[in-house]
Amino acid sequence: MSLELAGVGYRYAGAGQPSLLDIDLELPEATVVGLAGASESGKTTLCLVASGLAPRTVGGRIRGTIRLDGEDVDAWPMHRLAERIGIGFQNPATQLSQVADTVFEEVAFGPMNVGLPRDEVIQRTWDALDALRIADLAERDPRRLSGGQQQLVATAGLLAMRPTHLVLDEPTAQLDPAGTRLVADAIARLAAAGASILVAEQKTDLLAEVASRVVVLDAGRIVRDGPADEVLADPALPELGVAPPSAVRLRRAASAAGIDEAVLGTLDG
Amino acid sequence: MLVRWIAAVVGFVVVVAVGIVMAGGIPQSGEADPVTFAFQAVADVLALVLGVALLVGIVIYLVLERIQTGTNASVTSQFTTRTLILMPIAIALNIILGQTVAAALKVPIYLDSIGTILVGVLAGPLAGAATGFLANVLWAYVIPPPFQYPPAAAFAIVAAVIGLLAGTAGGLGLLRPRVGRPTGQLVIGGAITALVIGVLAYVGYLGYTAILGPTNLTPSSDNAIFVVLGWIALALVVVTVVGLFALLVLRRDLTSTYVVVTGMVTGIVAALISAPIAAGVFGGVTGAGTDFLVAAFRQGGADIGAATLGQGLISDPIDKITTFFVVYLVISAMARRTTARFPQGERLLDQEAAVTDEPGEWRGATT
Amino acid sequence: MAGSDHLSELHVTGRDVPAFVGRPGPSAFHRLNPLTKATLATVTAVAAVVLGGLIGPAILVAVAVIGPAIAAGVLGRLVRTALLLSLPIAISAFLVNLFFLPGAETVLLRIGPITATAEGLAFALEILARIVAISGAVTLFYLTTRPSDLVVDLERRGVSPRVAFVASASVQTVPAMVERAGQITAAQRARGLDTEGSVWRRVRGILPIVGPVILGSIAEVEERTMALEARGFTRPGRRTLLWAPSDSTAQGLMRRGLLLGLLALIVLRITGVWP
Repeated sequence: MSLELAGVGYRYAGAGQPSLLDIDLELPEATVVGLAGASESGKTTLCLVASGLAPRTVGGRIRGTIRLDGEDVDAWPMHRLAERIGIGFQNPATQLSQVADTVFEEVAFGPMNVGLPRDEVIQRTWDALDALRIADLAERDPRRLSGGQQQLVATAGLLAMRPTHLVLDEPTAQLDPAGTRLVADAIARLAAAGASILVAEQKTDLLAEVASRVVVLDAGRIVRDGPADEVLADPALPELGVAPPSAVRLRRAASAAGIDEAVLGTLDG
Repeated sequence: MLVRWIAAVVGFVVVVAVGIVMAGGIPQSGEADPVTFAFQAVADVLALVLGVALLVGIVIYLVLERIQTGTNASVTSQFTTRTLILMPIAIALNIILGQTVAAALKVPIYLDSIGTILVGVLAGPLAGAATGFLANVLWAYVIPPPFQYPPAAAFAIVAAVIGLLAGTAGGLGLLRPRVGRPTGQLVIGGAITALVIGVLAYVGYLGYTAILGPTNLTPSSDNAIFVVLGWIALALVVVTVVGLFALLVLRRDLTSTYVVVTGMVTGIVAALISAPIAAGVFGGVTGAGTDFLVAAFRQGGADIGAATLGQGLISDPIDKITTFFVVYLVISAMARRTTARFPQGERLLDQEAAVTDEPGEWRGATT
Repeated sequence: MAGSDHLSELHVTGRDVPAFVGRPGPSAFHRLNPLTKATLATVTAVAAVVLGGLIGPAILVAVAVIGPAIAAGVLGRLVRTALLLSLPIAISAFLVNLFFLPGAETVLLRIGPITATAEGLAFALEILARIVAISGAVTLFYLTTRPSDLVVDLERRGVSPRVAFVASASVQTVPAMVERAGQITAAQRARGLDTEGSVWRRVRGILPIVGPVILGSIAEVEERTMALEARGFTRPGRRTLLWAPSDSTAQGLMRRGLLLGLLALIVLRITGVWP
């Protein structure tokens, strides 16, 4: 169940220049792919295109092909794609449906929309809440939760659709450290359980933790695509506007200060 | 397409004609009411007949559309997800501003149609009508105190018509910015604006002096409350008027005249329809700051119906002009691409050079 | 709509739907179908207007407002809330009608150029009775029905999910917007905005708050649209409902009976048969 973008380009409505060019990206099963790049490099646009929101909801023009499990999804309406690819955004509060009084109903919103039988809706809702370990929040009012909790509720809402792929656009960008930790742990658990995730992040530490592969964008094009530890240790990252993960920076600072690699190796643990 | 429009207009005219005939000709109801110069009975009949005719026209159009195309795209195209997300915001604006103004400020305007007009202009007449109607129903029954206002339900139909008019104005491109126009056009526009505002000011002044005696605008023991509230209303009006002329002069934006005229027309229609409701259901009093105006008219000897209509014809145009002005400002402050994605968004933006498509297989959404 | 079989199947809060979803109310009146309660409120309000006079609305209030309120245990809250609601309009209506009824002759009181009349008093009391009936009826409905109950019931009966969405979202947005206005007010005050003082200052103070509230809300529209569509919102047709309020044939009959009664009342009134 892989998601493939081939030769994909995208231009926003009324924009002079395309925001994405020549994107060739494969997102196979059970892989967490990290997406890094300076702000305005096209990370969000790539997430929108991969999930189908661009051009369906957002307008604009696209070229190239997007295939889900080999099938071209160009003619699929948004609600059909929504069942296969879930996309989460930065702002936890604006992802709430605004019609649910409890977390349970909030998470059930998606399955209810697509008309699944009631038992199925309930089962999927509990499963999603359990997967993110927030079943104890089921009765709470989603508007009264912390940012991190709301982000988990939003993600549960996506999981309840049982998508084959999850696209997360900077899920921790608007969260405090506690919230970031909450969400990062959740993503790590999902990854360990075999989920297929594309996560865009400025916080490369997070990518180092959960991603097995990292893709770097620069001015709308892919400039790096490889195993996470290789790409994240690439010395060209800062020029591309990406701050390397702290482990990498620590190693570099240490070796610049003359501390032996072997010593550091024992600390890595 | 043309067939549908022609049929709808024909239906509208037929119903109006039949209605007037059935009502026994436009009644010459004795003299005009001496205070408000309002032909009360005529206004009532007109409101009812026009309302029914409008409904018939809309139904004819929709039925024909369904027969011709099998769906009602003119309806569904207005209710995109974006519209549905905007509507609760608009409804909340109506309720909060309307309640605040009515309860706290006690000035003779309402400001409870901002959301209705915003949705109408951006999304279309039916979306605007639905917003107005739903807002009033929710406001009466479902929204908790301190914002609940039971009388609102009776005026739901008025709100719907306001939304309809706003949507039509937006759809006709009346609120598209017309910046940098030549002075000749601006002078004509300024003259029309000044005329409309002048007429409204004069009518209001007439209303006041009929009560207070000739040009007695300084507060004194017996008319203090009327005059003070009048000053406040005047202040709000002044801000709007200044703003409108600023648009004309500083930005050379001719649309400010369109705003004034649209607001006045909408206000007059709203007054015509709401007066019979207010008079019949509430004796002309709704708990808002407009009540003192009604009181003033009745002190001058008008009956309930005439007093309510007189109050409406003063307050509503002022209220709607102010509201349309605010909506125009809000849309100007919105990013181009946000506006453009609404169903009528394109008609609210000034023309820009179209971006030429790059060669290659660029395609838009197919669904 | 369908017979009670279909309805009860949807209503059973069985082992699967959590108990906190669609909690039934504490009293029998609370548990009445929302449409029944809404019909009662509307018929009472309209009847009060149609009947006119003092006795009609008084009886209506006793039977259709106070009685059920006692049964539902909300009488205290009802009185407080209804009074609060109707106070501004009641004061206005009372004063305007007391002093400004044209054609009135029996003078009771004279204050400067304005006079209170007996006819004015009678009319003012009539209007007051009407207002009490309307706010009482509507408040009873509001106190015993959650908005989500009503919306879900309508949706179950065939109202479009899109209308249901707008209604539910509006109910949530009003307090959210007030909160946002409060936050913006606090921020602006910290920057020196004057919100107390003369009315003119207050009017001027509203603008820097209203602007950001409106524009901020509109700026969120894009994100919210994307989030909704990403959760299948664009799918046409009905959606699955987790629960629905119960209904019964008896209530259906009662609703129809109330509406027919109201219709009859209006006809009698118009044709002048009954005062």
